[in-house]
Amino acid sequence: MADVDRKDRAEVEVPLGMVHSALLEPFRIRLFVDDEVVVDAEITYDTAHRGIERMMEGMPVQKGLILTERICGICSHIHIWNGTRMVERGLGIEVPQRAHHIRVIGNEMERLHSHLLYLGHAFEILGHETFSMRCFMFREPVQNMLFFLSGNRVHYTIPVIGGIRPRCDIDKDKKQTLLAMLKSLDEELKAFGNRVINDTLIVSRIKDIGYLSKEDAIKYGALGPNMRASGVNFDWRIKVPEYKDNFDFEVIVREGGTVLDRVACRLFECLESIKIIKQALETLPDEEPINVGYELGRMGYSTSYNEAARGEIYDSCSLDDLGRIQSYINRTPSMSSLSAMEVSCIGDHLTDATITIVSCDPCLTCTNRVTVVDENKDKEYILEPEDIRRLARRKI
Amino acid sequence: MLKEISRKNAIHIMLVYTGGCNGCDIEIVNAVLSPFYDIEQYKVILTWNPREADILAVTGPVTKKMEPALKEIYAAIPEPKLVAAIGSCAINGGPYANLGGDLGSSDQIVGGVSKVIPVDANIPGCPPRPEDVLQAVVSVVPLLAKKR
Repeated sequence: MADVDRKDRAEVEVPLGMVHSALLEPFRIRLFVDDEVVVDAEITYDTAHRGIERMMEGMPVQKGLILTERICGICSHIHIWNGTRMVERGLGIEVPQRAHHIRVIGNEMERLHSHLLYLGHAFEILGHETFSMRCFMFREPVQNMLFFLSGNRVHYTIPVIGGIRPRCDIDKDKKQTLLAMLKSLDEELKAFGNRVINDTLIVSRIKDIGYLSKEDAIKYGALGPNMRASGVNFDWRIKVPEYKDNFDFEVIVREGGTVLDRVACRLFECLESIKIIKQALETLPDEEPINVGYELGRMGYSTSYNEAARGEIYDSCSLDDLGRIQSYINRTPSMSSLSAMEVSCIGDHLTDATITIVSCDPCLTCTNRVTVVDENKDKEYILEPEDIRRLARRKI
Repeated sequence: MLKEISRKNAIHIMLVYTGGCNGCDIEIVNAVLSPFYDIEQYKVILTWNPREADILAVTGPVTKKMEPALKEIYAAIPEPKLVAAIGSCAINGGPYANLGGDLGSSDQIVGGVSKVIPVDANIPGCPPRPEDVLQAVVSVVPLLAKKR
């Protein structure tokens, strides 16, 4: 991205951040502007680095997995689920089907609240306060459902190795209440989605801006809804057996690649999530939700992929003889979506840049974990998206 | 007297996120902004400008990178001002300062907010529930009115 010619051509540099009203999280975007048109963008994001992976080195695995949940306060369930799944795959621990269903319910509820938060934030940046408030109003029942399911609004800690925590089990009354809550949400969300897609004001504002072509989406490694809104048909949920074998749902793919497509893609995904939760609740098998007959021990290198609200998430680690974590790696989707975000800003007006950035759904708290210590050079640096791709090609 | 009444009628909260997990952050924005637990009806308004803020709400453990920024923001807020540390990370560094494996706890954070700037109110929880935040705002407002 560091194109010297383009930066020289720019007349003005507009920095946004560290703390800025358009950005909830601290990061800095430098927009290089030539007569109101953005010619280059640069994102600095190392303010929230806390070194979670370093802290997890040598921790007992049960304790360490709870720490993975603290990576992010929006997509907390998927981190602990993916970590648990990785350990279960590595050690060959059997998990009851009931636990799989409840984990999927947790993940889909999380996707719902994450997407609704995204929509609320996007409309707020657009200046459409009414829609923004309605999105936050939709989000509150989802938070209540999660609170009802698990006892916490943000960090639910549903999975443990071998199954789920007994407090998150769904009995008959809980199931009825959840289904009733879901039904009203479904109807209201459908009506609201229709309203948004057919609203001339909103559509004319976000129609042709923030274009990310299919080639660029692949080249810069956009993931999740950002990628699918640019026409790339991939979703880890069609590969992960927990989803693939049990539930019937559609992967939303849109061809446009603009801000409108990214918003619409997430809106339709919300409806698919509701569909999955309904199926999971209705087909919940009747059995013990946790298998406690397992032994921890040495585990070689194990990996797991899954689909978070923002895209692909990857976890890997190994365990020593006492079941302690060795070299944990966690890669979150926002990491590669950030570079896609930089690309899609270019060529638009300055006033459109903030909505373009928000439409890519940045989550900096996830991203800021990867710091590489180069022993030869004796300095620490944050891994840039280009480095990630280079390492990904080398398949570390 | 007039000053007190007018101050009570427009309390501005500035939210600064210093490197936590986003959980508290979104709960605060939800509590203040969303129509469900609407604090704006009590004339408490969210702002992003330190020059018009009365209460500085800090979430997350203070990372070394954000320490100077937080000090700068604190200095820019006019007196009288209050600082609220929200969530267990902001109070004492949470898991990042108190948990660790072979290599010890995180070396990237300074610790709780009180190590950087003076704190007047602590709101515990991981994350605190919106009801707790509402309660905290209600109990902090008289403190602000008394301060000169």
